Amino acid sequence: MNRAGPARPRARSGDGRAAVPWWLFLPSVVPILLFSVVPLLQGIYLGFTDYTLGAERARFVGLDNFARMLGDTAFWSSFRIGFIWTFSVTLGVLVLGMTLAMLLNAKLPFQGLARVLVLIPWAIPPVIKGLMWRMVYHPSAGFLNQWLLAAGLIEFPVNVLSDFTWALPAVIAVGIWTGLPQATVVFLAGLQSIPDELKEAAMLDGAGSWHVFRHVTLPLMTPVIVATAALELMWNFNAFGLVYVLTEGGPAGSTKLPMLLAYEEAFSFGNIAYASALGLALVVVVGVLVYFVVRNQYAGAGAGRAG
Amino acid sequence: MRLGHRLRHRLARFGMSLLLLAFIAFLAFPIVWLTSTAFKPAGEIGLQNPALLPRQPTLDNFRVAVEENGVLRSAYNTLKISVLSAVLTLLVALPAAYLLARRRSRMNQAVTVWILVSQTFPLILIIVPLFLILGRLGLVNTHAGLVLVYVVWSLPFVLWMLQGYVRGIPVQLEEAAAVDGASPLDILVRIILPLLLPGLIATGLYTFVNAWNEFFFALVMLKSPDLVTLQVSLARFRGIEGLARWGPLAAGSLIAIIPTLLVFAVMQRRLVSGVLAGGVKE
Amino acid sequence: MNRRRLGFWAVLSAGLLAAGLGLAQTNAQPVKLRFVSLAWQTDAIKAVKEVVAEWNSRNPRVQVEYQQVDWGSIQDYLTTSFQAKNVPDVFHYESNPVMDFGNRGFLLDLAPLIPAEMKQDILPGAWKTVTDAKGAVYGIPFLVEPLVVLYNRKLFAEAKVPLPRADDVWTWEDLRRVAKALTKDTNNDGRPEVYGCAIPLRNAGNRILNLSVGFGGDYFARSGNSYSVKVGNEEKQLLSTILAMLYEDKSCTTEALTLGSAEVIPGFLAGKYAMMPGVGAFVRQQIVEKAPKDFQWGVLPPLKAKTQEQGSVSQTLSIPKDSRYPREAMQFIAFALNRANMAKLAAGDWLIPTRASSTKLPPFNTSANGWRTSVEAAKYLTFPLWQQVNGVSEFRSRVLNPKLQLLFANRLSLDDFAKQVEAEGNEIIKKFYP
Repeated sequence: MNRAGPARPRARSGDGRAAVPWWLFLPSVVPILLFSVVPLLQGIYLGFTDYTLGAERARFVGLDNFARMLGDTAFWSSFRIGFIWTFSVTLGVLVLGMTLAMLLNAKLPFQGLARVLVLIPWAIPPVIKGLMWRMVYHPSAGFLNQWLLAAGLIEFPVNVLSDFTWALPAVIAVGIWTGLPQATVVFLAGLQSIPDELKEAAMLDGAGSWHVFRHVTLPLMTPVIVATAALELMWNFNAFGLVYVLTEGGPAGSTKLPMLLAYEEAFSFGNIAYASALGLALVVVVGVLVYFVVRNQYAGAGAGRAG
Repeated sequence: MRLGHRLRHRLARFGMSLLLLAFIAFLAFPIVWLTSTAFKPAGEIGLQNPALLPRQPTLDNFRVAVEENGVLRSAYNTLKISVLSAVLTLLVALPAAYLLARRRSRMNQAVTVWILVSQTFPLILIIVPLFLILGRLGLVNTHAGLVLVYVVWSLPFVLWMLQGYVRGIPVQLEEAAAVDGASPLDILVRIILPLLLPGLIATGLYTFVNAWNEFFFALVMLKSPDLVTLQVSLARFRGIEGLARWGPLAAGSLIAIIPTLLVFAVMQRRLVSGVLAGGVKE
Repeated sequence: MNRRRLGFWAVLSAGLLAAGLGLAQTNAQPVKLRFVSLAWQTDAIKAVKEVVAEWNSRNPRVQVEYQQVDWGSIQDYLTTSFQAKNVPDVFHYESNPVMDFGNRGFLLDLAPLIPAEMKQDILPGAWKTVTDAKGAVYGIPFLVEPLVVLYNRKLFAEAKVPLPRADDVWTWEDLRRVAKALTKDTNNDGRPEVYGCAIPLRNAGNRILNLSVGFGGDYFARSGNSYSVKVGNEEKQLLSTILAMLYEDKSCTTEALTLGSAEVIPGFLAGKYAMMPGVGAFVRQQIVEKAPKDFQWGVLPPLKAKTQEQGSVSQTLSIPKDSRYPREAMQFIAFALNRANMAKLAAGDWLIPTRASSTKLPPFNTSANGWRTSVEAAKYLTFPLWQQVNGVSEFRSRVLNPKLQLLFANRLSLDDFAKQVEAEGNEIIKKFYP
């Protein structure tokens, strides 16, 4: 990779590229340290204490909270639900988001308008989202049941949000609806960064559109897709606000996501320490997940460069 | 043979248009319902078979939203906070993202994972320590404090996405420029930035919308009535037991959505022209 | 040179940050009380604003700043505020969570500060909802919500169902009989077009606990200084009546299982349900606002089990311990909850004022919109045992609500429900009484 010396001498890193000054990092790191890491460490510490809301002081209790967690059936069942929710929403958002981004990039009629319209869920105030979807799912007055009845797909209205089979899928659909616009924007930007010449060249070589997607678009999009996947996993694992409005975790806990459990422990029952411990356990799980995704990306990127 | 090909092409495009239409119906339907509700008098809302068009259209809901609840004032507050958050976040994140993308080392990897994982820790649990820190700095009940929170909150995502976009730009371009004697800043401004514009817009949009839609911090941090943000003022139309004042809530939401959609529309144009600019330079 | 130019970024960022900090606004005024209110309906907000404005014009040295928070966020808002010691001076909430905050040491004991006249006038039952075992009072109760039965006059007339007489109120068995008579399945498809009733059962815990009181069902038993969960015959009676109407008679719609009161209203106004039993008196406001001109409705008195008694929570005004101006805050509360103002606030929220003297003012003494029946119903409100039990909120959301959902969805037998609620409930309550 070594090239001929430039006009002016400059410090070089090991692989011969111009060194990037490390302090470029500072403007980001300082606020993160002060306003994210410090409170975070305090929150983590709470997880090892017995602090409850209003207690005089927090006593250090080691791993007691985590031992309690092992025997907490509510925790384990929420964990299972959390995984179903997280992977379904993430997968839905990735697949549909990529499809939508490609449609929006295909120079179809009214492209500009379409690009704005699909972002509407993103613009709708969160305050109204949950209430609105409750109206959509309303057993007698909701759109969904009215359409399904009119189409003859169901005989009787289904009370979706209280149905033990349908509550979780219904909530997942709303999760995908909310997450889709953002992933689409990111993918669209990624698609637009791909020089048209590359695709045209492939087309000239007689490649079909699937082939172009598989061998030109997808590899170039990999970093963006992987990054989005990692973030979606984290966010969805963390999400609970929308579900709280929709079902409050019901019926009988069948939509109780792990973070909803932690939220209730902290704000409804005042068990701040236990809630922190729950949060910490989730961080560890997500940390492991993200580590694998990120590590693979580094490996993949390296391979891509080498090739 | 050639005709068959063209027909197939047309059919494919027709199919794609239909699919896009389905996506739009799924994603955009609330705007129809919101608009219809916003112009209905209270007596027409929440009926068994809601009509699409109000029988007696009224502007009352907008009046209530604006006069009783100061939605315009809070919309202005929110706009200010969101724009500041977006600009500040990008400025802070860009250098670090460049560093992360171009200087691959173990430490960078660890830092990235840490940044990401820190996002996983439930915000609701760090809010109290954070609140105390902001209090010590005199930033509670100020817009500045809220902007700070939003910048810190959005940074990990922005860093992460931006470094992805930077990585998508071939290093060879930079190296070629370096050979020609360009300084790192020149490289950043002349080469990276134009190519990065779509990415910057996408992430900037993200920060903007994040700040625009955030509710809990704004609720807890801002106490003075004239500092209140849009989401907090809209939440006041919610009642007990799933009740809500749908008319003003829909009207207020429309007021909240329109500027966002306008920003989206402008950004979309820029998104395209940004790409074109990048293409010309190449 | 290069480094300096790169430093431009850092400088620019820092500059913008400083500009942001410049937005900080500082308020330094002598005595400023922050009052958090939960009023959300048009008339209620207007009433609160009027009360605050009047106070401010009369007391130039103690200015009250009105902050409206919504019911969905108040718990999180207060929890955070208390921990960060950044509190409102007066806040509006509900007796049950208020007592919890009080027990955790966040609230001022108002007992020594209450004016004698106010103490006399407010109903004794209401005081009980805010007084702990040691006599500390953590809030001034000002609104109560009796649970009433709303009915559709036209459907009653069509089915020729006579209304209960004042001296012979309906029992739950009467309700069941009437609901059956009102249910109509004209096309015989097994799905009635008109149901006798719709009971909104979303998060029914509180409502079930309060309605059970009339059956003598307390859900808890006291032994010495501790409590245990009890689901015996008294507790089962209400549940078996509702189950019978849902699944045996099919005179009650299962649609309402996950709906809140508000979400049942469209069906009620469309004539799909003839009655809405066990709904809060405030629902009347929604009916008045939404009903078509020709819609005729009325309010029936509380149903009789053994007695007509109902458990009740009250809405309160409280002062946090960390308030800097507790004395001024109490003066403001005394003013906001004087006879006329309390009536104004209650009327705006379509609820019943706790002052006996306020209920003699309009609109409480009129028969329009079910006011008189609702005020009468408030007389049967008692302070239920469950509100004295520590850990009841955890019991309710961890055990009672989910088990009720299973029970009403017909996925759990009543006997298993009783066993599981007792076993799992005691696990939780035990923690609070070591």
